[in-house]
Amino acid sequence: MAHEAIPPRAASSRRLEPLRHIDAGVLDIACYEAGPADGPAVMLMHGFPYDIHSYVDVAPQLAAQGCRVIVPYLRGYGPTRFRDPATPRSGEQAAVGTDLKALMDALGIRRAVLAGYDWGGRAACVVAALWPERCIGLVSCNGYQIQDIARAMVPARPDREVALWYQYYFQLERGRAGLAANRRGIARLLWTQWSPIWPFDDATFERTAAAHDNPDYVDVVIHSYRHRFGLADGDPHYAELQRKLAMLPAITVPVITLDGDSDGVTPATDGSPSAAKFTARRAHRVVPRAGHNLPQEQPEAFAAAVMELMKA
Amino acid sequence: MSDPVDRQRRLVLGAALSGVAGIGIAENDRAVAQPESPTPPARASSSQRLEPLRRIEAEVLDIACYEAGPADGPAVILLHGFPYDIHSYVDVAPQLAAQGCRVLAPYLRGFGPTRFRDPATLRSGEQAALGADVMALMDALGIGRAVLAGHNWGARAACVAAALWPDRCRGLVTVNSYLIQDIARAMVPADPEFEAALWYEYYFQLERGRVGLAASRREMAEILWEQWSPDWDFDDETFERSAAAFDNPDFVDIVIHSYRHRFGLVAGDPAYADLRRRLAALPPITVPSVTLDGDADGVLVASDGSASAAKFTARRMHRVVRGAGHNLPQEAPEAFAATVMELVKAS
Repeated sequence: MAHEAIPPRAASSRRLEPLRHIDAGVLDIACYEAGPADGPAVMLMHGFPYDIHSYVDVAPQLAAQGCRVIVPYLRGYGPTRFRDPATPRSGEQAAVGTDLKALMDALGIRRAVLAGYDWGGRAACVVAALWPERCIGLVSCNGYQIQDIARAMVPARPDREVALWYQYYFQLERGRAGLAANRRGIARLLWTQWSPIWPFDDATFERTAAAHDNPDYVDVVIHSYRHRFGLADGDPHYAELQRKLAMLPAITVPVITLDGDSDGVTPATDGSPSAAKFTARRAHRVVPRAGHNLPQEQPEAFAAAVMELMKA
Repeated sequence: MSDPVDRQRRLVLGAALSGVAGIGIAENDRAVAQPESPTPPARASSSQRLEPLRRIEAEVLDIACYEAGPADGPAVILLHGFPYDIHSYVDVAPQLAAQGCRVLAPYLRGFGPTRFRDPATLRSGEQAALGADVMALMDALGIGRAVLAGHNWGARAACVAAALWPDRCRGLVTVNSYLIQDIARAMVPADPEFEAALWYEYYFQLERGRVGLAASRREMAEILWEQWSPDWDFDDETFERSAAAFDNPDFVDIVIHSYRHRFGLVAGDPAYADLRRRLAALPPITVPSVTLDGDADGVLVASDGSASAAKFTARRMHRVVRGAGHNLPQEAPEAFAATVMELVKAS
């Protein structure tokens, strides 16, 4: 890993603890909470292959500014569990969006700023699109993240396809077996590829990688990457929502989109490709020295974006 | 590497071969090679074309083939890989011809001007088909025995032919050792870095990959050339000379079928069912063999040869070629040609 030439900003080595457990929809969600209980709520949503510690520095900054900060482990991660062994371990976008809304319902949070990157950015986009009345504002990394599954078989530029190797790998049973056997090896490789200038250390990696030992992790991840290519059926429970998502609904709440200028998997854009999907006020920013794990790599920029929406 | 080496049993041949760290062990289950010379300077490969081509009707194919050297010389068949073409041998072929060999460099099925004779023939890229094509070519040309030499798909074709028809093979030169696929174990994962290097194989499992290959043959091939031969300074002209071979109308079908078949995710051509059964047993190679690895191979990391030692039951030498990537015959033609000549002379 090339660590030179970056002003090293060590992410905090603390842990986001204690966790509370919330019965929410099909899940028993493990969740970190900080800040005043009567503060304006912000939901911080992590991605794959990460965990809540992507927000290890963002969460205290927002709490210190008066926000009620909620950072849940997604389905399949950390101590979050399915309440029923029979529930399909779906990783589809409608499910992760529904989980976020179910958590807000269970916590009695009527409206919140929804903020995320990667899977978490997608969950935030889904809720903002389907239930805009629940969303004060949206912070989404890499623009509009609702998947256009109908076009999933349209190739990207070959050099972009190279970076998606894990998605293609996960289509095979070999990929499932590989993920099950090498959760850490695959996650570390992806961290390195996606955040090429981020000098994360072993302790930082391991703090998060422990969340991938969740018993549902492999099933949820594999399903997610198969479903987005139309190669696995969704959970019938979410069929109606997926039908709505297939229309690629517009996002009508205020939005700030962030791209990392060093993102190794989703290259930074000027925001224009997704402009038509944001019908309310939308600001787009390219964050310097940030890779794909933007909130952990540049927490000030991420927290500032959340606060802007909160104050507006 | 902790493997002890019995120096008495080494046949050190590398000194005679420019750019080769050559150490072979005969009749031994431990073939060990160690780099011993500095990386040679980058060498530009020839800009000539292997022309003219002749066409040979050989079973299901009309094979386009470059031929050089005396018609009565000992035959050598040079087999290219994916995504390459016969110009992997642009420097090897003249060297062998000048030393008296009858050199044949055919375009594989799906590449260049080679064509299927029947539009109804399944466009299979399976290993049995590639091996059978070699045998059909030899039959059509009346070649009883030949040294078979190849890299990548071509090395697999050579391994298949050597394993199934050893009486037709005077000797085998294979880059990356024993390449007959163990399809029954195709779902066993490798370490993540290697899996990432196989991105194209996984990509090709999806229709997206088929469409992407059809739309971007050159771009994909160029990425693979760069990944697999990180030290090879090929120019645009060199690339394009080979890339034109991917415009073959069967290229996409053959490539996609090959990469799906090796994972057991698509059926093979029933015409090769019997050969397939024999290959599934991972038959040993009983003819003299030299295996070559490039120490700058970006997809199959150079080995000491020991992992495949049990598959070679006759004399076998293993060498690591300094400065060579995956397209070894084009990157290190002297080393490749010298290896072929050793087998020609020994048989």
